[in-house]
Amino acid sequence: MRIKFCFILFTWPMLLSLVGSASANDLDAPLDIVALVTKAIDQTRGLSSYAEMSMLIQRPEWSRSSTLNAWTRGREESLIRFTAPARDVGNALLKQGPKMWTFNPKINRSIRLPNSMMSQSWAGSDFSYNDLSRSDKYLRHYELIHVSTQEVENHKIYTIDAIPFEDAPVVWGKEQMLIRDDFVLTELTYYDQDLVPLKQMKSLQIGELDGRMMATILRMVDLESPDQYTEIRYHKMDFDVELEDRLFTVFSLQSGRTR
Amino acid sequence: MNIKLLYQLSVRNIFRYKRRNIMLFAAIAVAVAGVSSMNTLIRGFQADMLDSALSNLTGHIKVHAPGYRDDPSIERGFLLEDGFQPNIPADKLLGWAPRIRVPAVIMSERETRGVQLVGVKPEAELISFLADVPIDGEGLSGTQDGRILIGAELARQLETKVGRRLVMITQGADGLNRERGFRIAGIYDAQGTGLEKVYVFTGLARLQQMLNSEAVTEVSVRLKAEPQKTSVKQLLSRTFVNLEVMDWQELEPQAAAMYLFADGAIYIWFILMMSALTFGLVNTLVATVMERVRELGMLRALGMRNRMVISQVVLESTIIMSVGVVVGLLGGYLIYLSMSDGIDLSSFSAGVEMAGMSTHLQPVFLVDDFVLVASMSLVLGFLASIYPAWRAVKIKPLDAMRR
Repeated sequence: MRIKFCFILFTWPMLLSLVGSASANDLDAPLDIVALVTKAIDQTRGLSSYAEMSMLIQRPEWSRSSTLNAWTRGREESLIRFTAPARDVGNALLKQGPKMWTFNPKINRSIRLPNSMMSQSWAGSDFSYNDLSRSDKYLRHYELIHVSTQEVENHKIYTIDAIPFEDAPVVWGKEQMLIRDDFVLTELTYYDQDLVPLKQMKSLQIGELDGRMMATILRMVDLESPDQYTEIRYHKMDFDVELEDRLFTVFSLQSGRTR
Repeated sequence: MNIKLLYQLSVRNIFRYKRRNIMLFAAIAVAVAGVSSMNTLIRGFQADMLDSALSNLTGHIKVHAPGYRDDPSIERGFLLEDGFQPNIPADKLLGWAPRIRVPAVIMSERETRGVQLVGVKPEAELISFLADVPIDGEGLSGTQDGRILIGAELARQLETKVGRRLVMITQGADGLNRERGFRIAGIYDAQGTGLEKVYVFTGLARLQQMLNSEAVTEVSVRLKAEPQKTSVKQLLSRTFVNLEVMDWQELEPQAAAMYLFADGAIYIWFILMMSALTFGLVNTLVATVMERVRELGMLRALGMRNRMVISQVVLESTIIMSVGVVVGLLGGYLIYLSMSDGIDLSSFSAGVEMAGMSTHLQPVFLVDDFVLVASMSLVLGFLASIYPAWRAVKIKPLDAMRR
């Protein structure tokens, strides 16, 4: 959209220098990046969702796999509960808007996570609590810039840079998203402020679950030690399910119910 | 009593045993020189410690709202009127600074740390260590500067540098969390890593906006001299009626204890060195008395009173002591002059910085300390002569003459 304005406002010599960047956009009618990103976020959530998935944490010396169930409603509410292995069963995480709680059945306590812990690792994986709570932050704290469009296997893939605003509470230099034209987020890379990539989340397999196209295998890699990664596989997904209000409460977090 | 006679007797006696007395003078002189030059170092350490305790955002006197020290948050702040000036006479006030100090969490791409976020009025911070430290990058330009200054050690831990952004989380006036990105204006290099790890500075007005408050949490006052503290403290507690007005000794009890300990250390050193010396002095005086049994017996037989005998020994001891002390103090002053550029402790920097000292120890010369050493030595010289004098009095003229 910005580039279109340039066509009108600037004179011919200026335009020449813009051709390079404009040509990528020529493939397409003006792209509404905000809508694209919003839809990509909502794609895996629906109005509400229920998911069964497994998680593999790979480390040089060991690996661990577990299974979990997750419920989401809207962009702000979610509940994740471990169902295997036995020693992790019942460990759970509740998110309500900006607040998060964890529950550990062994100590029978739920703990409200302080903001200072949000950037730390969740359940020993390569995901931070912040990665899980990704809601509308791209719309509030980032300037979204459409960098390029590629054509791969009958799909357009948009590369979008999300650059945090000056006083945004974001430590990254930028985040780069690759979003397919059917709103599947295929890649997300976190760069530090020297624009060196630090973490990358990649969709290894894309498939249809309950009528929606989505990444069914996701892998988060710590690029500074590439032999460490965390992989999430979705096995079952129900969208737009009826969920009771009480599911997303601290009480329900502690009750340990699975449905 | 014939003082002149006594004096003559004493001086002649001293010259009679030249070698022994020269050794004694030397021992006293070395001990006094050692003690007095050590005192200048202890005073230097003390002054340095006071200065770092005061510069460590404390100042001589600080004003807090009640409860702030137990629960440091902006909710426990207080309002300052526009154009507020503390009513302290200009000849006592070195400077004063309003601040907000709240705990915060600071995050970079790689690390997270807990810090104290301090909102300052940069031009008022001449009273704290911030004025003296070298800054890589820029300092804060004013209270509206929304960038931050962080310590070199913190920057190393967070793996960041000047010009980068960091995210800080802290609690606002309504009790809810505020988080925001801050660009690093500069990195300060304080002495020791203790301060560098803890304090993050930003503009006062911008921090107030972020916390949604017009309050400050502390006012720090630095005076021109330490003894003015008490009167100014009373003055301030009348200005800030409902607030806590505390001096640095109450705020930093550990530093205050160290300060007092340094006072004590001066006496401890003196007693250690001089008491060893006193035994030597007693021994020498007893020896001179015993060698002069015949002479003293003769004097007694001729009618010298006990009082005169005692005075003679005491006078002799005092003369030996005073000569030694004068030479010793001169020596101590020369040693002080040779160290007056300060002593570089940087080869022990790790240990020294941990103790909160600077790596440069500057000795401080106080006339009072030298007078103290001199007078205490003379008292010791007097005490040391009591036993030999008693021995001298005990000599019976008849026994002495028969030897």
